[in-house]
Formats: sequence, structure tokens, C-alpha cells
Amino acid sequence: MGQIVLKDVVKKFGDTEVIPPLNLTIEEGEFAVFVGPSGCGKSTLLRLIAGLEDTTEGQVLIDGEDMTEVSPSKRGLAMVFQSYALYPHMTVRKNIAFPMRMAGMSEDEQNIRIEAAAKSLNLTDYLDRKPGQLSGGQRQRVAIGRAIVREPSAFLFDEPLSNLDAALRVGMRLEISEMHKRLKTTMIYVTHDQVEAMTMADRIVVLQAGVIEQVGTPLELYHSPRNKFVAGFIGSPKMNLLEGAEAQKHKAHTIGIRPEHIKVSTKAVKGAWKGTVGVAEHLGSDTFIHIHGVEGCDPMTVRAAGDVAVKHGDKVYLTPEKSQIHKFDEAGLRI
Amino acid sequence: MAIVAQTSKLGIYGRPALAWIVALVFFFPIFWLILTSFKTDADAVKPEFLFFFTPTLDNYLNMTENYDYWRFATNSVVTSVLATGVALFVGIPAAYAMAFNPARHTKDILMWMLSTKMLPAAAVLYPMTFLAKSLGIFDTHFAVILVLTLVNLPIVVWMLFTYFKEIPKDIIEAGQMDGVNTWGEIKEILIPLAWGGIASTALLCFIFCWNEAYWTVRLTTTEAATLSKLIEGNRAPEGLFFGRLSAVSAAAVGPIVVLGWFCQKQLVQGLTFGAVK
Amino acid sequence: MSSRRLPRLLQAPAVILLLFWMLVPLGMTLFFSFIRYVLASLNRPEWTTPSIDNWRGFGNYAFVLDSKDFLFAIQNSLLIVGGILFLTVFFGVMIAVLINKVFPGQGIVRVLLISPFFIMPAVNAVLWINMILDPVLGLNGLAIEGINSVIASMRDAPVVGWFFSLWPEFKPISFRATQTSAYAVIMMVTWQWTPFAVLIFMTSLQSEDEQQKEAAILDGAGKWSQFRFLTLPHLARPMAIVVMIQAIFHLSLYAEIEIVSRGNGNKNLPYLIGEFANNNIGAASATGIFAVILANIVAIFLLRAVGKTLME
Repeated sequence: MGQIVLKDVVKKFGDTEVIPPLNLTIEEGEFAVFVGPSGCGKSTLLRLIAGLEDTTEGQVLIDGEDMTEVSPSKRGLAMVFQSYALYPHMTVRKNIAFPMRMAGMSEDEQNIRIEAAAKSLNLTDYLDRKPGQLSGGQRQRVAIGRAIVREPSAFLFDEPLSNLDAALRVGMRLEISEMHKRLKTTMIYVTHDQVEAMTMADRIVVLQAGVIEQVGTPLELYHSPRNKFVAGFIGSPKMNLLEGAEAQKHKAHTIGIRPEHIKVSTKAVKGAWKGTVGVAEHLGSDTFIHIHGVEGCDPMTVRAAGDVAVKHGDKVYLTPEKSQIHKFDEAGLRI
Repeated sequence: MAIVAQTSKLGIYGRPALAWIVALVFFFPIFWLILTSFKTDADAVKPEFLFFFTPTLDNYLNMTENYDYWRFATNSVVTSVLATGVALFVGIPAAYAMAFNPARHTKDILMWMLSTKMLPAAAVLYPMTFLAKSLGIFDTHFAVILVLTLVNLPIVVWMLFTYFKEIPKDIIEAGQMDGVNTWGEIKEILIPLAWGGIASTALLCFIFCWNEAYWTVRLTTTEAATLSKLIEGNRAPEGLFFGRLSAVSAAAVGPIVVLGWFCQKQLVQGLTFGAVK
Repeated sequence: MSSRRLPRLLQAPAVILLLFWMLVPLGMTLFFSFIRYVLASLNRPEWTTPSIDNWRGFGNYAFVLDSKDFLFAIQNSLLIVGGILFLTVFFGVMIAVLINKVFPGQGIVRVLLISPFFIMPAVNAVLWINMILDPVLGLNGLAIEGINSVIASMRDAPVVGWFFSLWPEFKPISFRATQTSAYAVIMMVTWQWTPFAVLIFMTSLQSEDEQQKEAAILDGAGKWSQFRFLTLPHLARPMAIVVMIQAIFHLSLYAEIEIVSRGNGNKNLPYLIGEFANNNIGAASATGIFAVILANIVAIFLLRAVGKTLME
């Protein structure tokens, strides 16, 4: 249970087409992440699947069944919202019970499921509080609890972690990943954060302006991005893209090299790119060096070891790993 | 320090003193009304009893005898309560639809509703009287309730709309995912969440109904006449009945002034259609 | 989607009710304004029923425009509305700035100040014109009579008597003449609506940027400069709203005029309509259409101002 198919789906708001005809299959049990810059249509796509937006054309199939005209609650999906969307006038217990109450489930069954969900989400002590008395992370857990108890055929997450602070975000990320491993239910997760996408996904769907740029596992996207957009979007810090003479040498319009695939040296190296250190960001484990003056790419970012000793104004020599150079043609597509 | 120096002694004592004086000046006519209501009709027009007199409760005790006060008051209560109820009953679904399921023309519809409020009542005075008389509802509670509802419906929809819009759309959508139908959305989520807003809308609508003085005067004679009509009918006592008229006036406005104190804040939002918060 | 259609239909009852409310009576007024229609006529009994046969074209409009009452009613409407607007905004800003800071008893001051707004218009008018402004029996008359009698008694006093004998006898102002009763109306409505302006300006002042003020103080701005260059511009929008909402309410002012004037010739547009409606329905309707046009001119500005912030 839980295969979702989008068939020639089109979405227009008035005359603006936000999603041109789009086809996508999400397999049962898969953790799929929709990622892209804000306004790329990823949330719209999720809401189309949920039924919160109408499709202008095309079909949404869930487990082979056409659900395009079916109301959100009848699609067997559960959704976790960015704002958590808890009912502020109900206690945690009532929040979690709400979908079951609407489905007309017996009180006993409701209680069994609430207890189980609360236990797995560490919410047992908070069941009688109102959402307003909980921390952000706890609210997020309640929202997840409300989704779990329905035993949906798929979970939809709409940027669920973006309202949490950085430390909590890492923890919740792990919890959601573990939940997926445990439940083995299909999950679709929308985020603009490529780190979340890389760490959580079985498969990533990269979107730009409503168009799917590439679908693949995190490592596929990392190693062989289909075009310049995906290359720049996946990976942190961003891939350096060079144009001009340097690219010509590789018979490409643009070449890309990730910061971690460049060796940096303060001593002259034959054939290396030359530049001047602008800022060196020391993270402890790594150092991100932003270098000015490299022809075709300014600034160029290099990821070096944590203890590399460079400072503002140093002349440095950069050697890219030949095997890790990505080549793109004039249209930005991978060669 | 410049900031400290700016708070002069005048600022510390002068401002509150001036504020109190202004407040008392503004409250004085009401105070005067109440004061006069405790004077006999004869004392009320004598300069020697301006502030010092023997207070009497007769004016209040004789309100029924003098003015049939309770009949008019009952009419005011019945029409205001029912008109408020109907306005909410029609207004809540409308505001819900506009706030959470806006269509392309929602904004225009809201604007148009507001514009009906700007229609000068006098312009349709005769047609309304004509319609009421030919439908046989002239001077009935039904007619008064209907008109009060219609007059206040735009403000009710607007106020509710501004309150509903403050509810995150996500919560309504979560409800949809969780399996509530339209009625459930209103009953289980909207009304409990917007309870405060709905209450203050009701309160304000009630006040407006109570104070309405054009249609209630023009569409009634005796049966459905409200307190506005009562006071308007006794507008020219020529000094003979200042005491008793003050008492009945105080009784007519008293409950509303007290209610009004409780909804000053909502008043701003309601009367400015959410444009000033 | 089908699941969205029902929720949208929920606005239908409100829309339909208001549509009827607007179209039916207004349509009738429009129709009546183009026909000869009177309530009683011995010579022309056929005019007493509304019928298309009595078509008069723009005759009613011409009749209304020709009557000197109409011009006077428009002037008076504008005088009354203009006077009230100026006074309420002026007092409103002053009082709002005055009581915006925390001081002992601020809550009570607010409650006292807001109270007049909830007085029903009929009571407001009866209270002011009789108990307060009546030149003989109201506070106006009583107070002046009291002052006069004090002065009279002082004239016979030793030493200072000559000083008081120079004083004239004070005469109370009558507010029952045509023009003075318009002032009475301005006075009582200003009293009632200043609290409204205060309330709105205060609400707006609370959202004033304190850091901006502190920055201005550090930049050397005095109290007056802060008020002139920060507070006043901040209040521009609420002022526009106060002006336009009041304009709409006061253009249809009726109860106060009726109670105060009592046929002394003081009138505004709605009152004139009421007078015409006693017999000449055609003229009343034509005047009504003029009133609608006037209100719409004001309304357009209001809708623009409110509309901008509406759907953000």
C-alpha cells in the first residue's frame, strides 16, 4: 500500500501555469523528498497529492486508484504541516484523537493508539496539555502523532522542520528517518534544504519552476547531476562553476568542480589555478576558503582540512581532481 | 541624559491632570443625565437645585406608568437579540466561505457588501415603508428584525472575516486531512477557535441594533416600537418632564454603555473593517 | 473540485439577502424618481398610484434642483459633516496623544471617555437640546440665570459693588434657531464621535515604532518635532479612515436633526427627503438618488483606502 502516481498533472493559478505537465511515480515504502528553491512548486505538488489543491488537468493515482476528484480525507493520506497546524483549543490527546474521532473509531481503539503513539514520540507526560504549552519540537511530535494514528498509506511532510532551531532540526530529522525505517510507509517530504534532502531521502526529486530537473538517489544526484541547476543545488558548499578559457580546455561550455574536490596549496604548483584568499571560515572539522581572482569563477570556494593555515590575502594554488570535473554544454546539460 | 530631562515635572503631573479633566468634561453630559434623573420634574428646572437637591427614585419607579418603559425595552431586547442571532447565523458561513475558500470575486463581494452599508437609508425610506405596508409587516417585530439584520450584516460579515482570517489556513486544511466535512470544519474547528471574535462581533452588532434610530422609528408605530422610538416620541418635553425623561433615557442607554465598555477594542476593528489594528 | 463548491455556496444566503436589500428598494426609488407620484391629491387622483403612465422624466430632478430647500439642505449637510469631521479629528488626535502614556487611572479615563459613543442617538439629542442647551430650563439657561443672580446680588455689596454694576446681564444662547440648531447638532455629534476617533488613534499609536522614536531622540528631535514628523505621519492613515467612516455615518444623520430642529427650517439631505416623503414621493425619490450619489463619492475614497490593506 502506498504507491503514488502523478499522470500528466497540470496546475494553473488563473492563467499562470505553476506546474506544467508532470509525470512522477513514488514507489511503495519509499522516502521521497521534493527539493527546490522557494516558489518552485514543490509544496503545490504535495498539496495536489493531498487533495488540498485541485489539479487543473491530469490524474493522481494512489495504489492504482484514481483519486483526482476524491476529497482529502478520503485519500488515506496524512499530512504534517510546516506550522504543525495543531488545534489550539484541544489538548494533545484530543488533537491526536481527532482524525480517529472523525472516522468514527471506538473510544477503546482510539485510546490504545494514542497511548502507543504517545509512547513512541515521548509525549506521554504531555497528553493533557494544550499545544500552546509545548515547545516547538513537542508540537512537531504531536503533529506527527496525529498523522501516525490514522495508519495512512502515505505520510506527507510539508517543510516540517523549518520552524525549529538548528539543533532540534537535526534531532527531528533523525527521528523521522527512524520512523520511516520502522513503519516502512511511503513518505513524501518537501523541503528547500538540500541537507535534509540528502540525509533523509531514498530518492530526491529536484524541482525548479514546476519542472522536475532530476530524480534520483542522493548519491546519483551528487555524482552525476543532470544539469547545472542540480549541480549547483545539491551539495554544500555549492559546486564551483567555471566558464571561459578553462572550460574550453575540457571542450565544455561550463565546468563544475565541488569545493571538496580541489586541493589547495600555498606553494606554487604547476598548472594550478591561482587566487587570493578572501575569507577563510574555520568550522573546526573543515575550513571553507573563499578565493578571489580565479579566472572564470569568483569567488571560488574550496573545502579544506580544519587545520589548514591560510589567511586573508594569501596567494594560493588550486588543483582540481580531474576525475571529479563535471562538464556542461551551452544549454547547461551534462555532457 | 536627554531622555530623562524630557520628562519634566509638568509631564509627570500635568498630563494625568489634563487627561482627567478632559475625561470628566466628556463624561459630564452623562453624569448630568443621571443627576437629573434623580430630581423631581419640578426641581430639575430650578437653578437653586443644580447640584444640591433631595434625590428621589420616583422617576425610575414610575417609568412604566409614565412611559410604558418595559414594553419598549422588551421590544428593543427581542429585536436586537434576534437580529444579532440571524446576522450571525447568516454571517458565519459567509465569512467562513470567504476566509478559507476564496474565489476570484471574493474581494469584490466583500467590497460590495461594505458599499451597501453606505447606501443612505433615507434614499429608500418610502420604498421600505411601502413594501412593509403592502406585505403587512409594518410595525411588526419581523420587519424590525429583518431590517436590523440587513443593516448590520455587512459589518458582521466583515468583522468575522477579519477574525477568521487570523486563523491559520493550515489548521483548517489539517481538519480536511483528518476527515471533517464542511459542517465539521465550522463546528469543530472554526467556532471554537474564533469564539472570542464571534462574541465581540455579536456584542457590537447588538449595540448597533439597540441604538439604531432610523428604521426603528420609521417602520414602527406602537406594536414593535423600540426604545429609540420611545425617546424620539418624547423629544419635546418643554421642560415639564426633565426628571422623568432623564430617568427613562438613562435606563435606555445604561445597559449598552456598560456593554460598550467591554468591547472597546473590538469596536476599533469592527468599525474600521480591520484596517486599523 | 466538488468538495470546494459547498463551502463557497455558504456565502450565498448573505449575498442574496443583501442583493435584495440593495436592489429592490433602490430600484423602486429610481423608478419613483422618474414618475409623478404623490400620496394625496384632490385634483389629480391618478398621481396617487405609482404607474409608468405618470412618467415625468427628469422633471422631479429639475423640481428638486429648483427648490431652495435643496441647496440649503446640501449646504447644511456639508457644514454639519465638515464641522463634525474637523472637530472630532482635532480633539481625537489631541486626546489620543494625551492619554497614550501610562498614568494613574488611565483605565478609568478611557472608560469615561469612550462612554458617549454608546449613547443612542435619540437620547443624545434629547439630552443635549433639552437638559443641557435649553436657553431657559436647560443647564445653559439655569447656569446663566444663576450667574446673573449672583452678579445682581453683588451689585449691592459694599466696596466691590460698583465693579459688578458694570457687568451686563448675560443672555443664554438659544439653540433652537435655524442656524444655531445646526451648531447644536455639530456639538452633540462631535461629543459622541470624538471618543471613536480617540479610540482609533490610540490603537494606531500603540503600533507606533518606539525604536524609531528613540532614534529620533538620539538625533536630537524635540517633543514637537517627534509629534510633527513621526506621530502625525503615522496617524495619516487612521485619520483618513476616521474621516471617511464618519462622513458616511453623518451624511445620513437623521435622528439628531429631527429631534433638535422640530420644523425650525434646519435640515440636511435625509431630513429633506423625509419632508418630501410626507406627500411628494417623486421629489423624495429624486432627492434620495442625489443622496446616493453624494454618499458614493465619499464611499469610493473609503473603499480605496480600506481595500488596500484588506487582502494582504
